Amino acid sequence: MNRLTLLLLFTGVVGWTQNTPIQNDSTEVALDEVVLIAKTKKKIETEMKMAVSVDEFLASSDNISFIKRGAYAWEPLLNNMSTERSIITIDGMHVFGACTDKMDPITSYVESNNLASIEIKSGQEGGMQGSTVAGSINLKRKNTSFTNYKDWKGAYQSGFEFNNKQFFNLGNISYSSEKFVTEGSFSYRKAENYSDGNNDKVNHSQFRKFNSSLGLTYKTSDLSSLRVDAIFDQANDVGYPALPMDLWLSRALITSVAYKQLFEEGLVRVWDSKIYFNTIEHYMDDTTRPENLVHMDMPGWSTTYGLVSKINLKKDNYSSEIQLNAYNNLSIAEMRMYPQDRSERTMFAYSWPWVTTRYAGVSINNSFEVTEKTQLNFGGSLGLNYNHSKYVDFNWIFHPGVPQEKTRFLPSLYAGYTIDVNKFNFSVGSGYGHRAPSVSEGYGYYIYNSFDRYDYIGNPDLKNEISYEINASAGFKNEKISFQVKANYFHIQNYIIGRILSMGSPMNYQSVGVKGYTSLDYATLFNFSLNAKYDILEHLHWNGTLTYARGKDNKEGNLPFIRPLSYQTLLQYHYKDFGFQTSVNGDFEQIDYSPEYGEDKTPSYTVWNLSADYTFYLENFSTTFQVGAENLLNEYYSTYADWGNIPRMGRNIFTSIKFNF
Amino acid sequence: MKFLNFFAIATLFAFTISCTVDKTDFEAELNQDVTEYFEFEEAVSFNTNGYRISVEALNGTFFKGYNEIRLKIVNTQNNQLVSNSEITFLPIMTGLQDQTTSCPHRYNLIYNAEENYYSGYVVFTDESSSVNSWDVYIGFMSEGEQIFINQSVTVETQTNKNLNMTAFTGNDGETYFIALIAPQKPSVAENELVAGIYKYHQPTTPSGTFPDPSQFLYSEVNNYTLLLDPRMPEPSMGNHSSPNNVDLTQQLDGLYYGVVNYTMTGKWTLNFILLDKNGQIIKGTEVPTDFTPGLEGAKSELYIDILF
Ligand SMILES: [Cu+2]
Repeated sequence: MNRLTLLLLFTGVVGWTQNTPIQNDSTEVALDEVVLIAKTKKKIETEMKMAVSVDEFLASSDNISFIKRGAYAWEPLLNNMSTERSIITIDGMHVFGACTDKMDPITSYVESNNLASIEIKSGQEGGMQGSTVAGSINLKRKNTSFTNYKDWKGAYQSGFEFNNKQFFNLGNISYSSEKFVTEGSFSYRKAENYSDGNNDKVNHSQFRKFNSSLGLTYKTSDLSSLRVDAIFDQANDVGYPALPMDLWLSRALITSVAYKQLFEEGLVRVWDSKIYFNTIEHYMDDTTRPENLVHMDMPGWSTTYGLVSKINLKKDNYSSEIQLNAYNNLSIAEMRMYPQDRSERTMFAYSWPWVTTRYAGVSINNSFEVTEKTQLNFGGSLGLNYNHSKYVDFNWIFHPGVPQEKTRFLPSLYAGYTIDVNKFNFSVGSGYGHRAPSVSEGYGYYIYNSFDRYDYIGNPDLKNEISYEINASAGFKNEKISFQVKANYFHIQNYIIGRILSMGSPMNYQSVGVKGYTSLDYATLFNFSLNAKYDILEHLHWNGTLTYARGKDNKEGNLPFIRPLSYQTLLQYHYKDFGFQTSVNGDFEQIDYSPEYGEDKTPSYTVWNLSADYTFYLENFSTTFQVGAENLLNEYYSTYADWGNIPRMGRNIFTSIKFNF
Repeated sequence: MKFLNFFAIATLFAFTISCTVDKTDFEAELNQDVTEYFEFEEAVSFNTNGYRISVEALNGTFFKGYNEIRLKIVNTQNNQLVSNSEITFLPIMTGLQDQTTSCPHRYNLIYNAEENYYSGYVVFTDESSSVNSWDVYIGFMSEGEQIFINQSVTVETQTNKNLNMTAFTGNDGETYFIALIAPQKPSVAENELVAGIYKYHQPTTPSGTFPDPSQFLYSEVNNYTLLLDPRMPEPSMGNHSSPNNVDLTQQLDGLYYGVVNYTMTGKWTLNFILLDKNGQIIKGTEVPTDFTPGLEGAKSELYIDILF
């Protein structure tokens, strides 16, 4: 390897610079040797929209859908499975939300301008970061390369979305030299209530988000570097129209120190280690909802520290990645109810009674090129998961005598085989893996679920959820046309879900009863997607996606939040410095809904979007201006995964401008 | 530049590490409205005929409700504790128009050889006030001579609502008393619930010289069952209840033991139905299980309110 390649390899996954948005290809030549089968989304923008939120960006992925509780912090579902079943990390760091009501998926603590890419792995292939069923979503931080000369780079993006009067400013800047790189970003978004397709305001859908990040990399030797990284995120006054409460304040500080060592020769090529610490505080607010019978305080805290260390090995046509993950998380959530006569005693309980989760695991991922055209991937992990509930008395009320501590072994295995035959490619794979119950599933206490209107009680003695998975794909690609069909099938043993309890009575006044997390014998899930691209003319491109999923429990009943047949089709046209895009997307009627879990039949909908952009030079700045409209026909709709059937945004005209320097 | 950056991180760190809202101190939360009593201290003492009599109660105070008492007698001539004597104990309340009544109590105290005291209990049914005053009448043998003495005592209001009591007339026309003994300091947990259940016996003989113990006869009721249904009465709690509670049954020490689960701190109503040994209802009614947000929780005819 020559020096330059090493340098590129060394500086990380993506050599991101602003005026050449995808420089990936040049670095990936080197990186392909160490980074294996990563289906990486390369740039944080969609075909339709260049200034997107992290959520909007994720939504453009086939196997991601969302539960939406408002305009902010959508909960990503991977392979139609909720966040308990997937692993979401920021640069390999485990971060856990501090909200019992899932107002804060990890994706809400980053911003599009401090990420380089999002890596989504389906099923057990995602087991590198820890134990999972659905797969993993890794939000990769921006990481500027060292340069032989002193270099300043930056970008500034601003825009306005008319529907909810969202005004945003995103800026990032980096300085690089031979020995030292520093980069920072900030962003601020402020939005008011959005309007639905009937032009009615959806109350409590406003938000304010501030995010900033800072990274410093120092080259400690020709082949090693040290990086200090921090993200600070704060959201204020965020409305959740689908929930009975809003958010007053949520803050996250996500920090890490990483050391990376490269080796010019030998089996070991890269050794990358990181220690990290993150802390989240989350305070809900119901004073904005005077209609509530009870005033409650519901603060939550989540603090995690951990270690990730991985080495990349390579010898001839064999390469391997071995990763050690260890973390400790403490999750605390309180609820305090105020009596109608405020002079009387408040009522207090923990909804997460100081639950500690410790995890330590080793994962391995091997890739063996059998021939030039065929490749075998296989790997697995073994994790040790430990839980401790400080105020175990809370858990004893429904589960008398359960142990205060619980240790679980979480093994996983997978294998996949890919083959290229002329213009076709095929793959088959299989996986097996355990996951431990989440904090809420194991130790949650009267967590109100406004979707089915039950209070949920965790069960510390739940069995591990065990997933058996098969997947296959087939694709074709020539100069003009490409298509890809993917399918996977999960058989999940001890599937964890809430079931009505015959004992206890609701604590939250809106609630109709108490559900306890229990294990179904099994549940099955099938996901299918078809993706096609066609370059009609040199500057005219079409692509389309069709997805289908089906989830059933052991009695052939439907699982909730399974996406019905859905489609997206997009046409893109480029002419000189102009670009035009139009897309149509929608879901068919949700036939296989689950009344047992609070779902009702959701009708079909279709949304039409349009956008145009123009790139030009302003002084020396490469500048792009974009204007567009989402839901152009102002369709009134809500999707199968809109919490409480809240309507989605009506017609939204958006504009944005971006300067690169 | 580098220094500045590190400085920025450090500041940010310190800024965020301190939470905006403090976490609840759960211990303090539980102590808020609850005073716990651990120590037996002298509540009252007096001298008579060369003896010093001291009555100990928890915290050195007599409260309305159940009081465990420890009585010690010292011969002041030789400073020796008098052991293994027969000691009687009778509390008397003088109310309006000098009417005298008593309350559930142990008349013949039990000698505890190990620690050299005489053990008993008294369930004061009222606080001392301008209207009501309490006296204790103590009798013991001294050199073959029966000595009776009385001493006025003060009964304080019980501020710990977890030691509340109730007195009522049963469906059989008899007067009953239920006094909570434990937990003194409940938690959001399974709590062992201990109560004393007593009954007043109408005198069958005409009154002798005052104080005639046969006119003030109380006893523990035996082999009854106290059915338990805890609820939160607060209107916004909509008649909230808890699972896995155990009805109270009598154990060897004569007291009644059960389990109450409190799902959160605050005001709770312990709804009871008292059954006699034949399963006949002495007092109490079933409480509807309907979830009624906004309405004050319904109560049984027989209940005790607690707070923690
Ligand atoms: Cu929340």
